[in-house]
Amino acid sequence: MVEDNDRVYARTQNKSTLLKIVILGDGGVGKSCLMSRFISNHFDDHSFHTIGVEFMNKTIEVNGKQYTLQVWDTAGQERFKSLRTPFYRGSDICILAYAVDDRSSFNNIKMWLNEFLHYAGVKNGIERYPFMVVGNKSDVSSKDREVTHDQLRHWCEENKIATYIETSAKNDNNVVEAFSMAVLRWVELEQRAEKELGMLHHPDTVTLHGGSAASSFRATCCSRFSDV
Amino acid sequence: MQKKTLQDPWLFVYKKLQDNEIISRKKIQEVDDSFFEKFGSILKQVSQKAALEESTPLAPLKEEEQDGEQKTETEQLEYRSIARDSDSGHETLLDTDSEPDENEKIDRYVEAVGWNIDELYLEILYEILHNVGGCDVGYEVGQLAMLTYVQEAFKIANDKHTELLTKAEAKEPPELMLNVEVVEAKDLVPKDPNGLSDPFVTIYMMSNSSQRYNTSVKSCTLNPVWEEHFSLPMSGNVQDDSLCLEVWDFDPAETVKEKMTKIFEVKGVKGLRKLVKEIAITASTGKHDNELIGTSNIPLKSIPAGGMTMWFSLSKKSKLKRQGVVKVRLNFSSEKNSQVAAQEHRHLLRIILLHELENSKVAPYWWCGNFSTPAEAILTQHAAQSGISQLDNSLVQWSVYCAVTPDHPLSFALFNQLLDKVSKPLQSALINEEDVKIFWDGAKKLLPTCFSHIRKLRKKTAGDKTVMKTLREVLKILYKLSLLEVPYTIELFPKNLYGWLREDEGKLTINEVLNQAVIQGASDWFVHILDNNECKDNTEESRLQHLIRVIQLVRSDLQRAVEYYDRVFVEVMNYKYTKALYGLYESKIASLVEPEVLEVCKCLKRLQYNEGSTTSVHLAGGLNGETRLGGPEVSTEPLAMGTTLFELYLALQRFLLLGQGLNETEWHTYAISNFHSWFFGGVAQWLDIAAYKALTRIEKAVDLDKLVPVDSNVKYSSSGVDTLAIFYQIKIFWKQLAWPDVEGCYTFVAKIVDDICRCCVFYSDKMANRVENVGTVTTVFEERFEVTTEWCVAINNIDYVRQSLEPFVVEMGMDDIIQKMCEARSPIEAQRCKETLQNVIANAIDTVKNKIVDLLEMMVKKMMPSITRFLIEGAELLHQDCSRMDRVMRYLEANLDTLYQHLNNENFSRTLDIVWEQLGEVLYELIQANLEKRRPPSFFSNLHECLKVMIRSFRQDNKEVYTSETLKRVEYLLKLHGMETRELIHEYHLERWQDQQSITEPKMGVITVRAQFIEDNLKVEIMNARNLTPTDSNGLCDSYVRVTLHPEDSFASIVKPKTQTHNKNLFPLYDEMFLIPLTSEQRRISDGLLHFVVKDKDMFSMSNTFVGEAYLHFSEIQDTPAPIGSLPQQHLPLSKPTNLDGDAIKALETRQGDKQARDFLKKQKQKTPTKQQFFSLG
Repeated sequence: MVEDNDRVYARTQNKSTLLKIVILGDGGVGKSCLMSRFISNHFDDHSFHTIGVEFMNKTIEVNGKQYTLQVWDTAGQERFKSLRTPFYRGSDICILAYAVDDRSSFNNIKMWLNEFLHYAGVKNGIERYPFMVVGNKSDVSSKDREVTHDQLRHWCEENKIATYIETSAKNDNNVVEAFSMAVLRWVELEQRAEKELGMLHHPDTVTLHGGSAASSFRATCCSRFSDV
Repeated sequence: MQKKTLQDPWLFVYKKLQDNEIISRKKIQEVDDSFFEKFGSILKQVSQKAALEESTPLAPLKEEEQDGEQKTETEQLEYRSIARDSDSGHETLLDTDSEPDENEKIDRYVEAVGWNIDELYLEILYEILHNVGGCDVGYEVGQLAMLTYVQEAFKIANDKHTELLTKAEAKEPPELMLNVEVVEAKDLVPKDPNGLSDPFVTIYMMSNSSQRYNTSVKSCTLNPVWEEHFSLPMSGNVQDDSLCLEVWDFDPAETVKEKMTKIFEVKGVKGLRKLVKEIAITASTGKHDNELIGTSNIPLKSIPAGGMTMWFSLSKKSKLKRQGVVKVRLNFSSEKNSQVAAQEHRHLLRIILLHELENSKVAPYWWCGNFSTPAEAILTQHAAQSGISQLDNSLVQWSVYCAVTPDHPLSFALFNQLLDKVSKPLQSALINEEDVKIFWDGAKKLLPTCFSHIRKLRKKTAGDKTVMKTLREVLKILYKLSLLEVPYTIELFPKNLYGWLREDEGKLTINEVLNQAVIQGASDWFVHILDNNECKDNTEESRLQHLIRVIQLVRSDLQRAVEYYDRVFVEVMNYKYTKALYGLYESKIASLVEPEVLEVCKCLKRLQYNEGSTTSVHLAGGLNGETRLGGPEVSTEPLAMGTTLFELYLALQRFLLLGQGLNETEWHTYAISNFHSWFFGGVAQWLDIAAYKALTRIEKAVDLDKLVPVDSNVKYSSSGVDTLAIFYQIKIFWKQLAWPDVEGCYTFVAKIVDDICRCCVFYSDKMANRVENVGTVTTVFEERFEVTTEWCVAINNIDYVRQSLEPFVVEMGMDDIIQKMCEARSPIEAQRCKETLQNVIANAIDTVKNKIVDLLEMMVKKMMPSITRFLIEGAELLHQDCSRMDRVMRYLEANLDTLYQHLNNENFSRTLDIVWEQLGEVLYELIQANLEKRRPPSFFSNLHECLKVMIRSFRQDNKEVYTSETLKRVEYLLKLHGMETRELIHEYHLERWQDQQSITEPKMGVITVRAQFIEDNLKVEIMNARNLTPTDSNGLCDSYVRVTLHPEDSFASIVKPKTQTHNKNLFPLYDEMFLIPLTSEQRRISDGLLHFVVKDKDMFSMSNTFVGEAYLHFSEIQDTPAPIGSLPQQHLPLSKPTNLDGDAIKALETRQGDKQARDFLKKQKQKTPTKQQFFSLG
C-alpha cells in the first residue's frame, strides 16, 4: 500500500544541510568535468558543451556534518547567457572556474564574477559571499601552463576572495577538496553572520524552524534550503 | 484496510478550473493582482481573442466604403475634401507620384484641341447633314439634336457654328460606298428535280439596277455559304434608295456541275472558252434560264450608320411561302484615307468623351463606354462616313480612352473589352507599325492607373463586389498586356511616371512592375499605419501597445489579402499576392519590433529586495520557515510587469504562423522567424518575477487556508489547490510561449521546474508553520494536544502539492523537449538534460518528503506529553483492574484514528513508525526517571503490560513487533523492573548460565557431572573437577562442591547436597551421587537451574573461600530411567561473576530498600575476584 516505494525516505538525508552551488566560467575550462568528477568520480575526455544548465546533487561530509550540495553547472558560451543567468539567484556558493592553460579564461573570471553579482543580486559585498576560484587542468605540463598559482593568489587577494584552489578533474586532484573548501567557507561566513546578529540581538536567536534570521546578514541571495 | 490512494493531483485543479472556481478565488489573486491568471489563462484568452480578430479582416478605412451605386463625381469630390479636412492620413495614399502633373495636363489639352478644330467641326457638321443609315440612334435623335450637341461638345460660338454649317450644306454629298458581304443562306426552296438547288446571289442598288453583282454558284445545296464581299457606290439619295438582293437557282436544266463536267468533254481551247463565256454571261446579265428563288429589298435607311449583320427573308411575288433566308453584312464606308480618318475619329472621340464626362459627372472608374444618344450618333456617323473599320475604331477608342483615363479614370472593364478586340490582331501582326505605337502609347497612359489601383487597393473595401470586380478587370488588363510583345522602341515604364519603381532594373516586364506595385503599396500602407498610430506617449507600455496595434493592422491587411485579393491575383496573373505582402511586412515588422523589444527587455528592472532586514526574501533559496516576504517593493513598479510584452510575443507568434502557412518551405528565411530570441531577457525576467510572486501568493494562500477539505471527495484544502493553480497558470503561460528553440526551451523548463520545486518546498514550510499551534486543548484540568483534521489536511496538502511535481514536468512537455533535443543535438546530451530535470524533481520530492516526516515528528512529539502523563498515572494505580491504561489507550486510539481516517497509507504508516520510535524514547526516559524515584516493580510491570497491549492494538500490520532498538530495549527493561526481587535473582542466575554457555576456554577449571530425572526425582552425580584455581598459600585447594537448585524459594524444602572435601588437590575426584526428591510442581519448573558451587574449605576462618561455580539448566538434564552410568558426562566450565553490570544486577541495585536484594548483591560481590586474589595469583 505504500506508494512511491521506489524512493525510500531516508531520515539521515534530512539532517543534512542543502546548499545550492553554481559553477561559472568560460566554455571549455572543464566545469562539467569538475562536476562530473565530484558527483560520480568520473572523467569523460571528449566533452560536449553543456546546454544551458545541468543539475546534479551529492551529499558530502565536512567536519562531521552532512551537506547536500545541489550543483548547477552552467554553459559558458555567450549564446547561453540569457539562459543561464536566471539560475544564479538563490545560490549559496559560487564557484568561478578557469583553466590554468588558458590565460583568457582566467582574465574572464572578473567578468563572471560581475555577471554573478548582477544576476544573483548579491548586495552585501564579495567578502560576505562564499566565492571560490578554481583553476582547473592543473595536470597540464608546465610549458602549457599560462596562469601560475601566484597569479591566482594575487588575483583573489585583489578581489577579496578568500578561497581558491587549483584542481585537475582529469587526475582527480583537489576536486572534492575544492567543494569542501567552498562549504567550509560558507559555514565560516554563516557563523560570522550569526555572531554579528547575536551581538546585535540576543545570542540565542536561532529559531526552531528554518535556521536563523542571520541569513539575511549574509549576502541576500543566499539562504539555507533546509532546516537544521 | 484499503485506503483511497490519491489520484492525479491535477485532476482536481482542472475540474475546479472548469468550474471557474479558481478563477474566482479573488482573495488569493488580490495578493498579486491576479499575476498568474493574467499571464496564464487570461493572457491566453486575450490572445485567442486577438487571433480571432486578426482572422476577421477589418476594413481599416470604413469611411471609404462604397455602396454599389454609382456616385457622381461631385459627391466624390466632396468626400475627398472632407477626407482632407479630417486629416485622416489616408490622403497620403491618394494619387501622388503616378498622377500627371499640371504641365502634362495642359499638353494633353492642347493635343486634344490643337488639331484644326474648325475643320473637324465642319467635317462633323457635314456628316450630320449627310447621315447614313437610319434605323440607329442618329436617326431617332434627329439632325437638330446632333447639331446642338456637337456645338456644345466643340464649344463653338453660334455665329461660327452658323458660318460653318452653311459651309457644310454647300458641300457636295459625300462619296459613300455600301459594303455588302453576302454571308450565307438557309432553307432555300429547292428548284431542281433532285430536291436541291445551285444557288447564287445577285445584288444591285435600286437606283442603278444595271450594275449588278453576282456571287459564285454553290451547287447542290439549300444552305450555301458564300462569304463574298462587294462594294456598291451609293447614289446621292440615300434616304429613298434600297439594296436589292436576288437569289437564283442556276440553270435548272443543266447544273453547274454538269457544265463543269463538260469541261472534260470539251475538245480544244475554243470549246472551253465558249463554255466559260457562257457561264459568265448567264451569271452577269440574268439573261439566262435561271430560276429565281427569292428576293429581298433592304432600304438603305434601315441600315445603321455603324453597319449591321442580319438575316433577310426571301420572297417571291407569286408565292406566299417563305423562300428561305439570307444573311448579309452591311456597312458604309468612305473613300477617305484611313489614317486621316482614324486621326479625325480620335480627335472627335476625345472631344465628345470629354464633353460627355463633363456633362454626365460620372464618378471615376465608372464610365464604361456608353455615350449619350447624340454623341453615339455623331461618332457612328463619323466612323461610317470615314470608313473606319471595327478594328480601327477599337484602336481609336483604346488610344483615346487611355489618354483620358489619367485625368478622368474610366471603367477598367471598358479597356478589357477593347483589348479583347485588338489583342488578336496585334498578336498576329495585322496592324501596322504606326497603330501599334499608338496602341502602346495608350497602354503607357493606362498602366499607371492600373498600378495605382493595385498600390491603393487598401482604399477600397474588400467586401465590396465592385472593388473585386475592378481589381479583376485591372489584373486582366495587365495580363492581356503582358501577353503582347512590346515594341523595342517603347519605354513602357518611364521614370517620371514610375517614381516608386526601383531603379536600374533594366527593362521591366509588366509582371515585375506588378510585383513592385504590390510591394510599394504594402510599403505605403505600412508607413500609413505607422503615421496613423503613433504612440500616445513614450512609456514602455504604450510603445508595446503601439507595436501590437501595428502588427494587428498589418495582420488584418494580410487577412484581407488572403480572403479576397489573393484568389484574384492568382487566378488572373498567377501572382502570389499575400506571400509578396507578407515578405515585405515581415521584414518591416522585424526591423521595427526587434530593437524595441530588445530595448524593453534590457530595461526591465531586476528584482530588488530590501537588504539588511529580516524582511528580505531570498527568492529562490528563501524557503526557510522564517523567511518573510515583503518589502514595500512588491506593489511598486519593478514587479508590475505588464502582460503587454507577451501579448506582443503572441501577436508575433501568430504573425509568424501565418507566414509559415504562406511559405511552407522557406519561412525560416524570414527575419521574423527568430522573433522569440528577442524576448529572451523578458521571459527570464518574467520567470524571476513569477517565482517571487508565487512565493508571495503561496504564503497568502496558506494564511487564508481554513484547513478544511475543499470537497467531500478530497482530503486537502484550499491552499493546496491554490498552489497547484499557480503551477497551472505558469504552465499555461509557458505553453502559450511555445518556445521554438529547443535549447532555450529546455533551459527555461529547467528553470520553471526548479522554481516550482522551490515553491513546493516553501509551501511545505509554510504549511508546517500554519498548523504548528493547532490542536492544543486546554481545560481546567489539563492542557493536551489532540491530532485534528487540520493537521491531517496540512500533511495531505503538502503531499498533494508534492505529488503534482512529477506530472507537472510531464505536462511541461519534458518528453517532447528531450525528443527534440535528441534530434537537434545528440542522444547523450538529451539524456543529460533529462537527468537534470529528473534530478531537480527527485531532489525536491525527497526534500518535501522529509518535510512531511518532520511535520509528522512534530505532531507526534506534541502527543507525547499527554501520553507520558497518562502512562504515569496508569502505572501508579497498583493492581487495579486491567483497564488501568484506558486513558492512554483512548488517547492514542482517538488520535491514531483521526490520522488513519485522513492520511493516506504511506503517511499513516510513517506516523506509526514515528509514534513507536518516540514512544520508545519516552518510555526509556520514564523508566530512568522512575527508577530514581524508586518506583515498585508493579509500576514497571504495569507499564510493561500497557506496552504489550498497545503493540497488540496498534501494530496491525505484519511488521516486526519492535521496529526500533529503543523499543526493544525498553520492553526488556520494563520486564526486568517489573519483576519481584526473587524473580530478578533467578534472572541473574539465568544470565550467569547464559554467560557460561559462551565460555570456550575455561580458565577456572571444569567440573564434570552427570544428572538425570527419574520420575520426579533428580539424580546428580558429581564426578570430578579439573584445573581448579589454587586458593591456598601452598598453591593447592581443599575443595568441595555444593549443589543448589534455583529459584531458591521454589526449592526451599530441598536439602542442598554437598560433597566431601578433597584436600590439597586441584584435580579432585568426588564421585558422589545424590538423589534429590522433587515434588511434581518443582519438577515442572521450566527455568530451573542446578547450581554447582566449588568452595575451598578454610580451616581457620568461618567462611569458606569461593573457587568457582557452574550451572546446569533443567532443559539440559535428560528425563530417563536409564542407569546414570550410561549417560554422557557433562563438563561444565567453572567461572566467577566477574563484573556485576548485568541488567538484572543493575535492576537489583535500584532496590536499595529491599533486604533480599541487598543481601543477594552483597553475596555476589563476595564471589567476584578481589584485588588481593588477583595479586596472589600473580
